[in-house]
Amino acid sequence: MSATQFSQSDYLTILTHAPADPVKLLADELIPALGEIAVLVNRTGLVMLPYTDTAQGTIFHLGEVLVSEAHVRIGGEVEGYALCMGRDLEQSLAIALLDAAITAGIKTDRIMAFVAEQAQLQTEADRELLQKVESTRVEMETF
Amino acid sequence: MGYVAAKGGEEAIQQAEKLFHALNGKVTREFVESIRENMPYLVDRVMAEGSVYAPELAALALAQSGGDLYEAVLLLRAYRTTQPRIAYAEPVSQEQLLTVRRISAAFKDIPGGQILGPTLDYSHHILNVGLLDETNVSGEEEMDIAEEPAPRTYPPVTDWQRDQGLMAELPAQDPVEAADIPDVTRDAVAFPGPRAHRLQALARADTGGVLALGYASMRGYGLIHPTVNELRLAYAEVEVKHPVTGAVFSAGRARVSQAEVVTQFGASSGHQFELGFAATMGWNEVKTIAGSMLDMEMNSANAHPAHTEDFVLYHTEPVESSGFCIHFKLPHYVTFASHLDSLRKVIETFYGGPKKQAAPQPEEVKS
Repeated sequence: MSATQFSQSDYLTILTHAPADPVKLLADELIPALGEIAVLVNRTGLVMLPYTDTAQGTIFHLGEVLVSEAHVRIGGEVEGYALCMGRDLEQSLAIALLDAAITAGIKTDRIMAFVAEQAQLQTEADRELLQKVESTRVEMETF
Repeated sequence: MGYVAAKGGEEAIQQAEKLFHALNGKVTREFVESIRENMPYLVDRVMAEGSVYAPELAALALAQSGGDLYEAVLLLRAYRTTQPRIAYAEPVSQEQLLTVRRISAAFKDIPGGQILGPTLDYSHHILNVGLLDETNVSGEEEMDIAEEPAPRTYPPVTDWQRDQGLMAELPAQDPVEAADIPDVTRDAVAFPGPRAHRLQALARADTGGVLALGYASMRGYGLIHPTVNELRLAYAEVEVKHPVTGAVFSAGRARVSQAEVVTQFGASSGHQFELGFAATMGWNEVKTIAGSMLDMEMNSANAHPAHTEDFVLYHTEPVESSGFCIHFKLPHYVTFASHLDSLRKVIETFYGGPKKQAAPQPEEVKS
């Protein structure tokens, strides 16, 4: 897969769904190439999740989701951002650094290769889950 | 009797807490992780009622409270107050849900089909005592995996019903900013309130409370004989906006459940089916089915007093209701001393002083 196959929406989604440890390892590997790093935000917080009622179409708040957030700037100008479920501050910081690196064009091939690998794993995991779900399909009969 | 203050006991309180933990075993990281992995439905319930989707912290709350659900919910709600609200996610709709269970009791041939998904509904409800033998382990049975995957998403059953004219069209909704959606955690609650308040309050309501009031309706105190139109267990993507570029991405997936019940009203509804709805974080079928029944009851102009909006929402709030209940065991010495003084004055004034009454005999009790 080439780097251009993943939009920012796609690669951030894939990275937030990936296991945290390999993402952190990749960010650690790339840090020396990023130049000066300024961490603007790295905190935990809540994201409210609105939900749509099917009876009357009302949008309401289902509840909040605990997240960690990171906002960084590298080389004094390029910003990166991440927000992921859970309270792992290193995970969101790592993804924000990768986001900034991609935007700055630093080690893009290396990062995108990782993203492609994770995308493949996630696709396979979803497929396996849905194959298991399909095996529970039932044809109802009435007598 | 003079003023009676509750004072002291610091050492006893510390010892009481130590005794609580001593009798409940050690809480370790491994134990918490085990709860998170092996009791997801319990974790779901604590998260929904605690109103924070955080499986790790919900498991910790359960471990720390020795499994006391109300204490666990309180711990999570308290933690929630320490966290800033960073953002609002994009609204979730059922057409987007990664659905793993989807059934209808109303129609057998629903578009997309019926998927039982993960459930014990149709299993023998028998304790597997053999698991107590250390050599036995559950959850290792191989599944027969279908060659092709199930669809990720399914069309709403209500789409078909609306196409057939069996149900009123959805009312047009004005676009709304997520931050402007009514929010029971920030707004003053009044009745009748906006529907968004009702559905949010049900989402974070006590499962037992919702079931009790919903069950009362099912048993005949309500106005409705419902059918489950559609029930879903699913994963919702938590989609947020990149603050610099505006790109929308998913921060992860949350387990959610939703239920619709349908019933036929008379001419007032134009001889169409009416729908009740409830959803919650986590997978909790009892709560969403009972909640959707209560949603429909609350719409009724002639609802039973226990099924009106203010009654339902006030009495199913888990932290307020459990907190009010258990506060009665805390020292009320001054209040009670006042009652005692009044009682003694009445006895002295009208009955000439206290007289010891003989205990009733067994025969008298029987009669």
